Amino acid sequence: MRRLRAWFLRFAGLFLRAPRERELADELESHLQLHIEDNLRRGMSPAQARREAIMKLGGVEQTKENYRERRGLPILETTFEDCRHALRLLRKNPGFTLVAALTLALGIGGNTAVFSVMNSVLLRNLPLPHPEQLMFLRLPNDQPPGASNTGDGDTSFSDPVFEQLRKEHAAFSDLMAYVPLAIGKVAVRVGEDPEEAEADMVSGNFFSGLGTAFARGRGFTLEDETAHAPLAVLSYSYWTGRFARNPAVLGQTIYVKGLPFTVIGVTAQGFYGVEPGASTDFWIPLQNRPELNAWGNPASLNTLYGTPTWWCLRLIGRLAPEVTAAEALRNLDPLFQRAALIGLGTPDPKNRKPVLELSPAKGIQGLRDQYEQPIEILMAMVGLVLVIACANVAMLLVARNSARQREFTMRVALGAGPGRLLRQLLAESLLLVTVGAGLGWMFAISASRALAAWSSLEVPFSLDSNVLLFTLAISFACAVVFGLAPLRSAVSVQAGSVVKSSNAAAQRTKRSSWAGKFVVAVQMALCLILLVGAGLLVRSLRNYETLPLGLRTDGLLVFGTSPLTTHSDDEKARFYHILLDRLRVVPGVESATLLENRLGSGWSNNNVFAIDGVVPTGDFADIGMRANDVGPDYLHTLGIPILEGRDILDSDSRTAPKVVVVNETFVKRFFSKSDPLGHSAGGVKPDSSFTIVGVAADSKYTGVDEKPRPMLYFPFWQRSFVSDMQVELHTTGNPESLISSVRAVLHDLDPNLPMQKPMTQRAQFDVSFSQPRLFARLSMFFGLLAVLLVATGLYGTLAYRVSRRTSEIGVRMALGAQRIAVLWMVLRESLLISVAGVAAGVPLAIAGAQLMRSMLFGVMPGDSRSFLEALLGVTLVALIASAIPARRAASVDPIVALRYE
Amino acid sequence: MGDKAAEKRDVWQGTLALMVLKTLQAMGPLHGYGIARRIEQTSGDLLAVNYGTLYPALLKLEQEGYISSEWGFSDNNRKAKYYKLTRAGRKQLNKEEREWEQTTAILARFLAPGEERS
Repeated sequence: MRRLRAWFLRFAGLFLRAPRERELADELESHLQLHIEDNLRRGMSPAQARREAIMKLGGVEQTKENYRERRGLPILETTFEDCRHALRLLRKNPGFTLVAALTLALGIGGNTAVFSVMNSVLLRNLPLPHPEQLMFLRLPNDQPPGASNTGDGDTSFSDPVFEQLRKEHAAFSDLMAYVPLAIGKVAVRVGEDPEEAEADMVSGNFFSGLGTAFARGRGFTLEDETAHAPLAVLSYSYWTGRFARNPAVLGQTIYVKGLPFTVIGVTAQGFYGVEPGASTDFWIPLQNRPELNAWGNPASLNTLYGTPTWWCLRLIGRLAPEVTAAEALRNLDPLFQRAALIGLGTPDPKNRKPVLELSPAKGIQGLRDQYEQPIEILMAMVGLVLVIACANVAMLLVARNSARQREFTMRVALGAGPGRLLRQLLAESLLLVTVGAGLGWMFAISASRALAAWSSLEVPFSLDSNVLLFTLAISFACAVVFGLAPLRSAVSVQAGSVVKSSNAAAQRTKRSSWAGKFVVAVQMALCLILLVGAGLLVRSLRNYETLPLGLRTDGLLVFGTSPLTTHSDDEKARFYHILLDRLRVVPGVESATLLENRLGSGWSNNNVFAIDGVVPTGDFADIGMRANDVGPDYLHTLGIPILEGRDILDSDSRTAPKVVVVNETFVKRFFSKSDPLGHSAGGVKPDSSFTIVGVAADSKYTGVDEKPRPMLYFPFWQRSFVSDMQVELHTTGNPESLISSVRAVLHDLDPNLPMQKPMTQRAQFDVSFSQPRLFARLSMFFGLLAVLLVATGLYGTLAYRVSRRTSEIGVRMALGAQRIAVLWMVLRESLLISVAGVAAGVPLAIAGAQLMRSMLFGVMPGDSRSFLEALLGVTLVALIASAIPARRAASVDPIVALRYE
Repeated sequence: MGDKAAEKRDVWQGTLALMVLKTLQAMGPLHGYGIARRIEQTSGDLLAVNYGTLYPALLKLEQEGYISSEWGFSDNNRKAKYYKLTRAGRKQLNKEEREWEQTTAILARFLAPGEERS
């Protein structure tokens, strides 16, 4: 206790030094005076008395120094002094400080930003209590045969499965179900304005089971679920964005697809739903109304919530305490196997059995699989950039410190040990890294926002404690490296060599310049790897951008809309018919059509249809077909060439004979010998088959990178049920300028009708490769950064060498060396470094490119052009960076140089 | 060799604090110079106190809360910093005195075994 008090006071002694110093001086002075008076009384002379008093005290300054050591904490004090000294040094060299700190900021900031993406996509847990207990239920081999499903085949479960599994509390203390109301967004009206929001229907225990906290109001109850109560819970961000955090929102009514729901709660900040790949705006209890069917799917008798064979629910469970995922799965599987068959009758034993799987709710489901490898590769790339940046700063420090040899020798001569020097160098590097990391953190904040925007991932990228720890760790590693790098030159100093001329130093730097050249060569190698990676990714992006789509995207505007108040298929078909008629007469619209799945959105219908009443047999990869329900004038509006027959027409109405248009690949696969026109495709029975009336050229459907697949275009009016449709307009001018007049048309039809995601068709296709685009841009950025850093590093090394060798060059020239020879001397050095770097870099780049294989599109990992360009780039960098020092060397005036000593 | 009495001993490590405390107990509030003189005198001028070492020791005792200090005036009206025992200092002194007595008693027994037996 006493010791603690003493430590505290000593710590306090670090501050308010001036008054304490004065007091100490006063005390010692009074001591001396008392002593002198005594001595005088004993008969000494004044001079003798004073001398004796000081001697007895043991010297005023010595006493003060001993006293000070006891007063404060010497280690802390010297650390402070080191920091102050370092600060002074950094201020004295603003150029050096700026370059070093910015280099570090770019390195650390870039790493932090990429890591923050990796953190949110791959690592982060849900912001809920005990997130490690939360498990998604998955079906790796899809639903059992015979089930109807919506959503993704591997995530959707039936209602009986949910009801059976939620009763088994030994495995999960709570099992929650949820399902989106739409693909993307659903129509909502608050007050007068129709808009769209992302909404999920959830089971009554959704919030209580997850442990969601509430900012306002409450969550749902099991009674709300069974009563399908018209209640809604808003997310904090929706409440903020749409209601300006108005507390009066509780009790307000929002209209979802025109149906009233009362707001009863707002979740706590930071909760975006369980699938943060898309942030949910509000939640309602599970509904059984056809208008509010899962995913906005058209409802029929066997595709509505509550129907046993309708697999639409996503499930997330909270493991019971002390239960592992494996135990829970063992517990649940028999139940699941029984429940899975409810409503499906007796299964054919030959049929595959569905498999239940538990997957930890970590990172972002779906995105995790898709992004894991690319993000790790990006992380590696940005890590290389950091290594290059650190090497640069280390070299800068080494160069600067060898210019400080005299200072170090002086310190050693004055009695500083190696430990003391190390502490000071560490303080300097720590300070530098602190500045760099601070700047880097700020850079990372904006960079991670930009990344989130570019990646078109609706992910809350926040810089959380994981990211902070990461940044601190890499910064600390940097600081240690920088502290240690210059140490060798500092401690190798001998006290005796204080005033020796720079010749001695020049001898010594011979050795350390080898280290410098080695570091630059390594940087070159890393730079080559980055440039090869960037080249491959940029070439992939170019392929995405220039790949022929098989259709004309110029002037195409696409948007979605679905009737809110119509229920029957006939009504829905009539709605779209009226809509088309109205849109066709809008000035600027050349033609208009409809389609179920928007092109380039990734969605598609996949099936195997019968041809002339016979279902082809074979592997799905060979016989799988794609289909889309489309409107009249489809091929014309989208500019897809008609190879044979005709387009879908207005006359192919609901009551007209059923027709279908197929694509070239379909014909090649199934009609290699005969003419397809007049044959039929579709169902097995004659009344469900469609007559082939046209053949269209192949065109892209889900996205740019798909391979051609057999394709069928069905007139949507003739399908057994009518889906929610997208509208494509071919316009004569700028498509986006038409948005407001189209909106007016929609408003005329129904004030509640929102225009869903209007954009040009080109932009929609661009979205389909936003991930490769992001990676290409980032890798290009990293590549350029590496080039810049390597160039400055090489330039610095050479310039430093040249300035060190000025007198040597002067002697050479005085002895008759030609300028060209001197020029070559410097260039040769830089070329040798480059050759060594490239020689090491090429095999590494070849290996690295193999790792990137999955990210490449239309380019082989060993693409010679990418490699050549990278080589050329590195060589160019080397030449440019060495040009200035070489010229300076060649322009050395021998007379000046010899006087230089 | 012959002038042994005049050869002064240094203060043993760690005993200076005890001497300071004891001095302050005996003399009441006292300034640094006074404490140093008093220690010398008490030891019969056998101990040579390097006055300079006294001040860090005083500071340590003050930091530990055994003594406190304030500025005052000496008999001949000179400004000086006066130290005095605190309650904790008094307790500490008692404790250390007891410990010291024990130690010396034990040592005494070791050093004079003959007398014990006789």
